[in-house]
Amino acid sequence: MPLDTSTYSLALLRVDGRRWNELRRLHAQIRIQAAADGSSYLEMGNTKVMCVLTGPSEAQQQQQGQRRGQATAGGGKNASINVSIVVAGFASVDHKKRGRNDKRTQELELTIAKTFASVVHTHLFPNSSISLALHVLSADGSLLAALLNAATLALIDAGIPMSDYIAACTAGSTSSYAAADDSADPLLDLNTQEEQELPFITVATLGETDRVAVLNCESRVQVSRLEGMLAVAVDGCKEVKQLLDKAIKAKGAKMIREGAAEKSDAMAMDLDE
Amino acid sequence: MPREAEPSLNERNFVSRALEEGLRVDGRKFDQCRPVSLKFGDEFGVAEVQFGKTKVLVKVSAEVTVPYTDRPFEGVFSIASELSPMVAPSFEVNRPTETEVLLSRMLEKTIRRSGALDTESLCLVAGKKCWSIRADVHVLSLDGNLTDAACLAVVAALRHFRKPDSSIEGEILTVYTPAEREPVPLSWLHSPFCITFSYFGEEGDTAVLLDTTWLEEQLRTSSCTFSLNRHGEICQVSKLGGVSIDAPVFVQCAQVALAKSKEYTELVDRKLAEDAKSRDKGGLMAELTAENDR
Repeated sequence: MPLDTSTYSLALLRVDGRRWNELRRLHAQIRIQAAADGSSYLEMGNTKVMCVLTGPSEAQQQQQGQRRGQATAGGGKNASINVSIVVAGFASVDHKKRGRNDKRTQELELTIAKTFASVVHTHLFPNSSISLALHVLSADGSLLAALLNAATLALIDAGIPMSDYIAACTAGSTSSYAAADDSADPLLDLNTQEEQELPFITVATLGETDRVAVLNCESRVQVSRLEGMLAVAVDGCKEVKQLLDKAIKAKGAKMIREGAAEKSDAMAMDLDE
Repeated sequence: MPREAEPSLNERNFVSRALEEGLRVDGRKFDQCRPVSLKFGDEFGVAEVQFGKTKVLVKVSAEVTVPYTDRPFEGVFSIASELSPMVAPSFEVNRPTETEVLLSRMLEKTIRRSGALDTESLCLVAGKKCWSIRADVHVLSLDGNLTDAACLAVVAALRHFRKPDSSIEGEILTVYTPAEREPVPLSWLHSPFCITFSYFGEEGDTAVLLDTTWLEEQLRTSSCTFSLNRHGEICQVSKLGGVSIDAPVFVQCAQVALAKSKEYTELVDRKLAEDAKSRDKGGLMAELTAENDR
């Protein structure tokens, strides 16, 4: 075991000094690359990811039939969403090189592609493709959640219509799977240290609703803990959604103030707040 | 490469309208599974599972190899799953499709990562020799619910498997043939099973189906696979995208999955007991007797 979290029960503070329901600092930026159709940069604590979006553009010939990380619904009538994830060699401590055909990365790509295929209004762009290139610059827990959030931001930046935000975060449970004690507390937004020791789930919700788009758990945990972890994670997602929303509105207000975009009459938002 | 045939508009409408009326195309209830059959082969470590028309065969083999340098005290355990063009023309050899990647990840997470097999017990000489256990998954025919069938088959085959007995005297490792010493079972810690739920319909009224056929699987809006053992431990949950589902549904599904997992545990236990009984020739005296059955 990489660390001892037994001190948690004494001070009720986690290794990095957070309380059980505290998110790490979330820093979001959109439009970071002028050349891309949409782009975003997201930090959740020390997890740092970047997303560059191209599209909707004309779909390339299906050279290999089903390509990796692709989700299409209803053939050529809808836009297909392609996701590729690159984990930088320096992203984590152990410098482990993950190949292109790593199944874990492929699973992440598929998950992200499928999630957005059901949220983005793909039927508006027949025969086209939307490509998301995700780069992991630093991995410190909640990787899938960060990638999903970054992809949401990039899609919004590109102005691609979607029914709502996808907001994601993780939740864990304080006691390991072996202990059957009932005194386990749920924890919100885990870092790598906690992820290695504690069971956790990754949840993505549709905006601020209770509807879960992604639910992923890879560790052993008592079935009775699921409910508690799920409730905490869904609340966390709501918080994340508001933070993402704030980042986007701030950028929009800034663009209007600088004259890069015009304020429309339909905009109810007050710029001065 | 031929594309997978998509269901026609008529089929789509028929299935979804039927589901709205609370009916499934093959007349089952929403939470009713197809009859499950589990058969063991003559050899140890061969299991064949059938869920309706879905048929999966798993063969387990063992050999002595060198352990990985970063894990000198552990044996090697791998699950190989490959979908061949025999299943459907859309599957090609050496070009893993989405289904194949997800299946192998699912088995990996459910059985290997959850520590169902004690890999440390496969170590023979630390850092030098260990057993390598390999489970080959062969999909013989596909009619939906592949993950559940494959997982059940792998667990059953591994529990049925016997590896040759071995002993170490000083520096000499001896592996005995079955004639010299009775082969020994693997050190098995717990049996996780996959249970897949398929969700149909848009927001509001979601229909939750168990054990879907291939047609239903092509039309579902999202799915969620739970892996649990009979002790109520979740080994893995994955709902990878698709249409979003209300959070409380998952808690209910987890309870259903737990009951299903206990059912599968019972099935495997019963079949293993039956198989052991049929192999038992009546002890040493019966084996050594010179009398022939005429």
